[in-house]
Amino acid sequence: MTKKIVYVIGVFSLLFGLWGVYIRLFEGERSANYGSYIGWGLWVAMYLFLAGLAAGAYMLATLDFLFNIPRFKGTGKTMLWSAFITLLAGLASIGMDLGHMERIWKVYLQPSFTSFLALMVWGYTIFLVLILLSLYLAFSHPEKSAIKVVMWVGLVTSILVAGGVGFLLGGNAARLYWHVGLLPVQFPVFAIASGVALMLVIVGWFMPSLKKEQRSNLLWTLAILSVVTSLVKLYFLVSDFTQSLYGGATDNVIAIQSILTGSYWFSFWIVQIALGILVPVIVLVQPKLAKNGFIAGLMGLFLLIGYATARFLIVVPGQVAPMIPGLAEAFHGPKLTFDYTPSLMEWSVTSAVIGFAILGILIGMDFLLGYLERFMEAKK
Amino acid sequence: MSLIETIFESTVVAPGETDVLVRMQTELHRAMQKSADQHRWVMVIDLRKCVGCHACTVACVAENKLPPGVVYRPVMTEEIGTYPNVTFNFLPRPCMQCEQSPCTEVCPVNATYHDEEDIVVVDYEQCIGCRACMAACPYGARTYDFGYYYVEQLPVVDRAVVGDKIAAGYEHISQEYGQEWERTGQHESPVGNVRKCHFCLHRIKDGILPACTTTCIGRATYFGDSNDPKSLVSELISKPNVIRLKEELGTDPRVYYIL
Repeated sequence: MTKKIVYVIGVFSLLFGLWGVYIRLFEGERSANYGSYIGWGLWVAMYLFLAGLAAGAYMLATLDFLFNIPRFKGTGKTMLWSAFITLLAGLASIGMDLGHMERIWKVYLQPSFTSFLALMVWGYTIFLVLILLSLYLAFSHPEKSAIKVVMWVGLVTSILVAGGVGFLLGGNAARLYWHVGLLPVQFPVFAIASGVALMLVIVGWFMPSLKKEQRSNLLWTLAILSVVTSLVKLYFLVSDFTQSLYGGATDNVIAIQSILTGSYWFSFWIVQIALGILVPVIVLVQPKLAKNGFIAGLMGLFLLIGYATARFLIVVPGQVAPMIPGLAEAFHGPKLTFDYTPSLMEWSVTSAVIGFAILGILIGMDFLLGYLERFMEAKK
Repeated sequence: MSLIETIFESTVVAPGETDVLVRMQTELHRAMQKSADQHRWVMVIDLRKCVGCHACTVACVAENKLPPGVVYRPVMTEEIGTYPNVTFNFLPRPCMQCEQSPCTEVCPVNATYHDEEDIVVVDYEQCIGCRACMAACPYGARTYDFGYYYVEQLPVVDRAVVGDKIAAGYEHISQEYGQEWERTGQHESPVGNVRKCHFCLHRIKDGILPACTTTCIGRATYFGDSNDPKSLVSELISKPNVIRLKEELGTDPRVYYIL
């Protein structure tokens, strides 16, 4: 029943999203709310979230194929598939954000490697190939050492690309709120945390085929991991905020005030902290609740929503402080503002991306992975 | 001193003296005799003379046919004191033309780079519109062309010089980078690109000072080649009362402010 509801949600998300995708592709970016001063908005945040999710899902797949942890046995292919789909979804989100997405080939054929963005495009492309290669080997030669070699390379790549996204923001000296040395360290932790949350949803809601004991043990393990990673993330957050507020640098204070008491207070206190950390932690520390598939899946969903919001609250507040005081008032025109709330069109495109990810993961699990299994068996 | 007096004091030329614009124009011609790699174009803005008229902003918009939402040289206003003891400070902000430009470094496809005159330019046909350069610029000197038009949806009146059909022709074609850019629709460059001040490169190459410099009513903006020791800008930036914005970021800007 849960799966059917999620299917329906996926279909409706995609359908609602098609409207936004149409507007974006045929009418341009005018109906987006990001602008010249806050140039990176919801779609960039979703890219960070989904690309991190892909890295995290891959890391968890190594627990099955690389480290042979019994509790994770049988979950590797699904996590690899989820990594593939979420990475595609992330790339779709950032693709829609480009003013000239038809020129993306230039990043491959005419790249500038002084640009960390170019390095990330290359890095994620290599990661995508490694995911596909890992999937192929998982189906065709799971027993051979080739998959172990590929997954070692993939594991290191997943950590690097996740950290690289942190560097993409953190390396930016112009934005004090992002320019934190620990950001590239934090992002792989975020990736693991979001991968674990995704696995909670998948195992809790869509994997009744696992043996009851394994499933319940796995859910408990994932619950503990979620609690630990949530607390680690919370520690990062508190240390970032207190250090910045104590230091008192204007841009940092403006950014953090916009989160704590300004435009983004609801997203922060209600969605990221209450829904995304407090509720899941309180529920998941209780073994009885954590081992309940539906509840565990629901907490996984809450965690994912919290993590996506956390990405938004890194990307956007980093741009809310005017680079030069008085810039917003100096010249008036469309999109020359330091206020940002995503427009309906932006939400719609994100809805398409999420719908694609939901349906992609479910259809893969229900049909494609089974088909590939049978196909490879028949081939042998 | 009243506003009128300030402007008069700044622009009046004593007998036997040359207007700074004429001097800078002569110096520009002299600089153009040298090869491009021997130039170091700088802009100097005398904040004591700026009256906050925004003429430079408007001249820049007109010169480069900038659409709504795109601005290369806004003028920031700072209000000091409380009524009735209020004064204003003004800060014009062109592109700083940083020698160590963070914007060019982050571009994934070399669409923004230092050209042969060492001016930071944007290749509209190369730019993918990722806006990484906007995020990297510490001065907010880049804006994004979202495809707005001043004249769209205006009524068309027969035989009158109003309306979309007449004005669009004027609005849509700019001469930036010495090339005709016919800007139409929502998908053709420079729509979907990041845009920025280029010190009116197309004018410099023709031996004409940037539009903001020639338009400044208070003669507060100076432009020239600081590699020429006899140039006005060289004289000005050698004084101790000169600063550059956010130097601590290591950007090495080529816009100087006189305090």
